[in-house]
Amino acid sequence: MNLEEFRNFTIQDYHALFARGELSPSALLEAFFQRIAEVDPLLHAFLFVNRENALEQARRLEKEWKDRDVYPPLWGIPVAVKDNICTLGIPTTCGSRILEGFVPPYNATVIERLERAGAIVIGKTNMDEFAMGSSTENSAFGPTRNPFDLNRVPGGSSGGSAAAVAAFETPVALGSDTGGSVRQPAAFCGIVGLRPTYGRVSRYGLVSFASSLDQIGPMARTVEDAIALFEVISGKDERDSTCAPYPPFSREEIPPQEDIRTMRIGLPREYFSEGVDPRIVKVITAVLRELEKEGLELVEVSLPHTDYALEAYYIVAPSEASSNLARYDGVLYGVRRGGDQGLQDMYFQTRSFGFGPEVKRRILLGTYSLSSGYYDAYYLKGMKVRTLVRRDFEEAFATCHLLVTPVSPVFPFFLGERTENPYEMYLADVFTIPSAMAGVPSIAVNCGYEDGLPVGMQIIAGPFQEGVLFALARFVERMLSLPLPFPKIGPERRS
Amino acid sequence: MENVYVTIGLEVHCQLLTRAKMFCRCSTDYIGKTPNTLVCPVCMGLPGALPVLNRRALELAIKTALALQCEILPEVVFHRKNYFYPDLPKGYQISQYDFPIGVRGVLEFALQGTKKRVRIRRVHVEEDAGKLIHEGPELRGTVSGVDFNRAGIPLVEIVTEPDLHSPEEAKECLVMLRNIVRYLEVSDGNMEEGSLRCDANVSVSLSPETPGAKVEIKNMNSFRSVFRALSYEVERQAELLRAGKTLVQETRHWDEVRQVTVPSRGKEEAEDYRYFPDPDLLPFRIAPAMLQEIQATIPELPLQKKERFMREYELPEPEAYILVQDRDLAEFFEACVREFPSPRAVCNFILTEVLKNLNSLNIGIRESKVTPSMLAELLKMVERKEIGISLAKGIFEEMFRTGMGARDVMLKKGISFLTSERDLEKVVREVIEKNPQSVADYLRGKEKALHFLIGQVMRATRGQANPEVVKNLLLRELSSGE
Amino acid sequence: MHARVSFEEIRKIAHLAKLSFSEEEFARFFQDISDIIAHFEKLNELQLEGVSPTSHISWSEPPMNTDEPVEWQGSDLVLQHAPRVEGRYFIVPKVVEKEEKPS
Repeated sequence: MNLEEFRNFTIQDYHALFARGELSPSALLEAFFQRIAEVDPLLHAFLFVNRENALEQARRLEKEWKDRDVYPPLWGIPVAVKDNICTLGIPTTCGSRILEGFVPPYNATVIERLERAGAIVIGKTNMDEFAMGSSTENSAFGPTRNPFDLNRVPGGSSGGSAAAVAAFETPVALGSDTGGSVRQPAAFCGIVGLRPTYGRVSRYGLVSFASSLDQIGPMARTVEDAIALFEVISGKDERDSTCAPYPPFSREEIPPQEDIRTMRIGLPREYFSEGVDPRIVKVITAVLRELEKEGLELVEVSLPHTDYALEAYYIVAPSEASSNLARYDGVLYGVRRGGDQGLQDMYFQTRSFGFGPEVKRRILLGTYSLSSGYYDAYYLKGMKVRTLVRRDFEEAFATCHLLVTPVSPVFPFFLGERTENPYEMYLADVFTIPSAMAGVPSIAVNCGYEDGLPVGMQIIAGPFQEGVLFALARFVERMLSLPLPFPKIGPERRS
Repeated sequence: MENVYVTIGLEVHCQLLTRAKMFCRCSTDYIGKTPNTLVCPVCMGLPGALPVLNRRALELAIKTALALQCEILPEVVFHRKNYFYPDLPKGYQISQYDFPIGVRGVLEFALQGTKKRVRIRRVHVEEDAGKLIHEGPELRGTVSGVDFNRAGIPLVEIVTEPDLHSPEEAKECLVMLRNIVRYLEVSDGNMEEGSLRCDANVSVSLSPETPGAKVEIKNMNSFRSVFRALSYEVERQAELLRAGKTLVQETRHWDEVRQVTVPSRGKEEAEDYRYFPDPDLLPFRIAPAMLQEIQATIPELPLQKKERFMREYELPEPEAYILVQDRDLAEFFEACVREFPSPRAVCNFILTEVLKNLNSLNIGIRESKVTPSMLAELLKMVERKEIGISLAKGIFEEMFRTGMGARDVMLKKGISFLTSERDLEKVVREVIEKNPQSVADYLRGKEKALHFLIGQVMRATRGQANPEVVKNLLLRELSSGE
Repeated sequence: MHARVSFEEIRKIAHLAKLSFSEEEFARFFQDISDIIAHFEKLNELQLEGVSPTSHISWSEPPMNTDEPVEWQGSDLVLQHAPRVEGRYFIVPKVVEKEEKPS
């Protein structure tokens, strides 16, 4: 079977073939497994390929649904899952040595929902350790490479999921976004990535990095598929106190096509400053011109605290992380080192061995910010700045329906290019952090290629306005009609 | 002890009587259970697990704070207390920091008839840790074992101001607190089982102006330990001060075996817990309606009940004090008095025979087969002189054992009422005849001889006679026989 | 806010977080941390008086559990995969409880 035929498929298209008996879930899976076998040795998007289990599930589904042609929304669809989402019986490492060999005894809520909708977990994808990073170079198990140029990063921390979808090793994937970890890799790999409103998707089973910022988001080749995934995973969960008490997202929330032309789009000036790579500005500006031609109104707005959001984030997120990662102590699960010299010896050796340098940096930063004498100066201050950042967005959305910005100020960079200076790496998230701090939803969509590399555009909406978000994203997608990625993965760069 | 100024504050933890744990649905019924069976991803702190508050735990904590007359804070906020220890699976405890459930409350209790008042600094709620064992068949080598069955059980923490001024006061305060949580049915309040734990801060100085150094005392596992530990510590500090030494703030452990406090070895620096609001639990406001509902469930508390018993039933303070220690017992008393309105008699019988029988079977009054009505009936019989008090005690024991009423017990045992004075007269004369020496002794002035004769009559009637009546008859016979 | 972070402070922080470093490593980490913390100075440009901190993004009432116990069947799995287990206990190096437990 040649996957090439499916490269522009949405989930509905697969279902049509299933219904006609022209394709079966197990055959589809086999095709993807073959693709993975071919390209993943170079790409390294997967940490675990769920071969037997997935095929078993596929066969079970086929048996149960024989002779039926109306399927649950994700029936027979393979989904790659970022390795910080707990999957029962399937190793979950969070890209860290400290959880090497950890097999969760339970499923995250999103996994339960996926499986109830008939989806099949095809494998677990690579990531920056504990979701801390913007390039997937912080994985303890080696980096993932950008499918468009193997010498470049796929972005992070959901780099594995992004690369897998872009390279068509899987039709859809789940990632997680704390400060940009779904949107930035989606942009670097030319696919769609949604960061939902905080609280829209249950975090039960998502290994926590920064609890007040983490969200699980769909990553897909089309807006349509992102919608399908989002409908299944979103909605209230009694096991997550921070999950909003609303029903799952429904596509009914998406306003009709005609309404798009009446929308006012805000362009925050802070996101279009000199610091942005001119090629990115060029591509996005071209898209904006076209949108104007289509009748949308573009206005300049200001989000004055954009510059401060990064610092506040690097106080708040590591603080929460330093506490969330205290449970990795060698007692109950994961790896253990030392202990011959007593309990403290076990703690120090386990954690010093098990955590990589970026995680250690953030634990130190976070512990410092929360420590006695510094709480007011750092953590409290960070939380106050967060309030100001939220207000920026509230004010902007009083006059605009949506905001449009670049996703990243930089192109997908080379492996090793930013690893020397941590702060350099942090700057890669400067456009994705503010909306995360405000808790508002945003989506990355591919809006073109420059020098053979994808350029992503970020659309931001007000809280719980994913419908409006999807509306414009779909509009842009149709307007641009870009070919869906199916890069030839090899040593030479190809577009 | 003269010229010694003692200041004591208590920090008390009570396990709340919920059926499920504080942040997950595991059962709280952990005593005697196989280790690590009442656990789940949440209370074991597995990666990805999240807490959800048990509403009942919150209600019981609020109830406790209200009963202690605290001001209830409008918003419920949880904080994380961060530190590493094997019984703490997440590496932090979910607790409360600057926004406890209640503040500025009051606890009143009595010490030898004098009413005392202790201010309550705060009441807050937090989760319990797991249990560490240091020896056992499973432990081979220098290791310890962890059991998480207890991890996540809801606790209410009650902190007093340092308003106590002697070990006696501290103990009585603790006893009152225990009784209150039992009255409220928020906790079992059992120190031996660990559902009530107490740490104390003791500070001694030789003059009222200079404050002493605050010494924390831990590991007191019974009321008696609390009293002894504090007494020891006060003496220890006083001695050092008198010898001119200065005391430092420290933590000490009570050694039950050696009956001394010993310094806790450990880090010199105070632990930095890095409290911050738990981002996994959203703060929310308590609805006033909820507060009203909970307030309505608070019963009459021990001190009020004691004072009312003293007023309404004219019971002396020591007796009233014992009666109200146990709410069920106090209610039993009142129910009985409603049918047999001689409170002193009821009280005496309860404090002697009823308690004795309860203790022998190691049960509480709730499990007693004897109801207040049944006791009332028995006591009425005694009042009407149908039976004597010592017979009544025996009958009660049987009632207690079998659940039969007084009359049924008597029928079963073949004890009949000796109402006929003529029968009794006959027995009395027989006894007088058979015991001339005793009669002579009595007539010579030996009171004891009379008792002997009464005893003989009682024996002859197998205890069925009313001893008062027997005594009168004997006296009549003996005086007439002169 | 402190622009200068001291070596000693970070050593204490590392100790609190149960992380140990070689001297070389520590020097590098110390440099990284100081640089990042130096950037936090920027926040001092803002007027934060009277701004309430956002510690949570929340709505009315969060979900709460009913007080009905539910048994979880997975405890055996956790014991199976734990670093060290004897019987049904998780084993750790011997803890001298009175010495080490923070109050």
